[in-house]
This record gives sequence, structure tokens and C-alpha cells, in this order.
Amino acid sequence: MTAWIAILAIVVGTLLTRSLLPVLGGRAQLTPRIESALRFAPGCALAAIVVPELMFVHDSVSVGIDNLRLPAAALAAVICYVTRSTLGTIVGGMAAFWILLAFFGH
Amino acid sequence: MTTHPRSAYTTAFLEGARDLFAPAPGVLAWGLVTGVAMIKSGLTLNETLVMTLTAYAGSAQLAVLPLIAAGAPFWLMLATATIVNLRFVVYVAALRDLFKARPIWQRALLGYLVGDIVFVVYASRMLRDPTPANRVAYYAGAALANWSFWQIGSVSGIFAASWIPAAWGLELAGSLALIALLVPLCAQRPALAGVVVAAIVAVFAHALPLKLGVLCGALAGIGAAILVDARTRARAQLRP
Repeated sequence: MTAWIAILAIVVGTLLTRSLLPVLGGRAQLTPRIESALRFAPGCALAAIVVPELMFVHDSVSVGIDNLRLPAAALAAVICYVTRSTLGTIVGGMAAFWILLAFFGH
Repeated sequence: MTTHPRSAYTTAFLEGARDLFAPAPGVLAWGLVTGVAMIKSGLTLNETLVMTLTAYAGSAQLAVLPLIAAGAPFWLMLATATIVNLRFVVYVAALRDLFKARPIWQRALLGYLVGDIVFVVYASRMLRDPTPANRVAYYAGAALANWSFWQIGSVSGIFAASWIPAAWGLELAGSLALIALLVPLCAQRPALAGVVVAAIVAVFAHALPLKLGVLCGALAGIGAAILVDARTRARAQLRP
């Protein structure tokens, strides 16, 4: 049941952000200030989602050898910064994770 | 076989579709990761298929999936999906000319089909030639190609998920897909400051119920970015 509520939430959130402005047409315009604030929001939301997800292991912060996802994700971020490739980021990060797991995993 | 000259509309449509082939591997990979993530978070096959076909918003899907397990209420899921999607408001505002003088259902559909890759491909095409004929056809070609690649990746992920061993730790790939989206958004200093503040606040607020820490982090980050942005602008004006 929760899944269907979630689907509804995402669909409404998508229509609000993608279709509402085109449907309103010329009647709605963004001021430069609002536009720059809107530009910042997704990055902040993504960081607030991704960083805790990577840092927490069983509800406590872990930055040591038992959390190899963190160095793998850091490397993926560097790959992304240099190459701007989505595929390279995902594949490079996962490869780094599996190599680290082979050496330090237990 | 007789060859008919292609209409200008078809030519522009095919050019748009063709320009999406270069970033297609990334779109496929991201779709695949999202498909796997939906199954791994406990959704049924029907739920995942409906979600991918209706929502068509990878970042919002990946952001809301953990909220399902946490039993979060509708308003929190809606707030999370909307905030992650706010970048699309900027995109459709920039695409204003595309929607002019079109029937309302076309405006809604063209807007619904916007995505990060579609926007980047379309914007760089407009930089090469700001007033091409049939820009709507070009956009439609790129958007439909992106939609197809995404759905192929996502549905493959949904059906492949059940025989991917948990030991592979493929959940990480979902976070990596979001990192691929996040890094280019940090280009300017206000944005970077916002991202850093959002991450720190979200980590400290992690103990809050219903994953409310995500919302707190995002709001704090937006506030910080606006402050830094205002200061940067003020300083730029002071300079002679």
C-alpha cells in the first residue's frame, strides 16, 4: 500500500515540477532570485540523501575499513568530476568497491 | 525502391534521437540501477513497472524508495520527490519558447518528458544554431530516445534484480548514480556551500524519525547556498 502512495507522490512531484510551468504558459514567470534558489535545491537534496546513506552502517557513522563504500564513492565522485560520464562514475565506483572488498573485505 | 525526401519534421526528429546515442550508455546504466533498487527495496513486480512507466524520474524514485521502508507519510514523500525534481522547473523555464502556441496537452507532455540528459543535449544543439526549424521535432526526438533508453534500462534492472546476489552490494550503484547527478551541480561556490551544509546537517539529523534528516539537510543547504549567493553578488557589486 505504501508503495502506491509513494508512486502517487513521485508522479505528482514530477508533474508539478515539469508540466505545471509549461501548462500555465506565459502566466507564470520565474524571477532571477527564485530561479537561482531552484537551481540550488536539487544538489542540496541529493547530498542530504547520498552522504548519510554512505556514511552510516547500522545506524552509526563509520568511516573506517568496515565501510568500503565510502572510499569507492569518493573515487566515483573524482571520476565524475574529471570525465562527466554517468556510466564511468557507476562502473568505476563499483569496480573500486569490489577491488577494495577483495582486499579488505571479510 | 523509390526514395521519398524526408520531411523537415522527420529529419529534425531523427537528428534529436541520434544526438541521444552518445549519452545513451549512461542513461541505460542509470535506468538499470533504478530498476534494481526498486525491486531490492521490496516493491512487487507490478509496483515497480507502474512506478517506472508513470514516474519516469530516476532521482526522485531513488530518493523516495528509502521512505517506503521507513513508512513515511504522503506529504514527506511528495516534499522529497518535489525538492529533488526542482531542477526541472529551471529546465522548463529555459525551454519556454518550445511550448509557445501549443495545445495544453502538448505543453504538459513536452514538459513531462524533460530530463537532465534531454535538456543538456537540446541546449547544446541550440548553442550550435539558435534558430533551427522544427525545434519541437528535435526535442521530441531526443526526449523519446531518452525515454526509450531509460525504460529499457529500468525494465531490464527490474527483471535482472532477482538473480543479482546481495554480496555484490549493488545498492551502492544507486548512490553512485545520484553522485553522477550531484557533482556537476556543485560547479559554483554557492551551490558547493549548500551541498556541504546539506550533507553535514543530514548526517547529524540522521537519528530523526521518518528520514526527516534528509528534508532538514536539504532545507539548511538551500538556505546556506542562498546566503553565499547573496554575499557573492553583493561583493561583485562593490567591486569597481
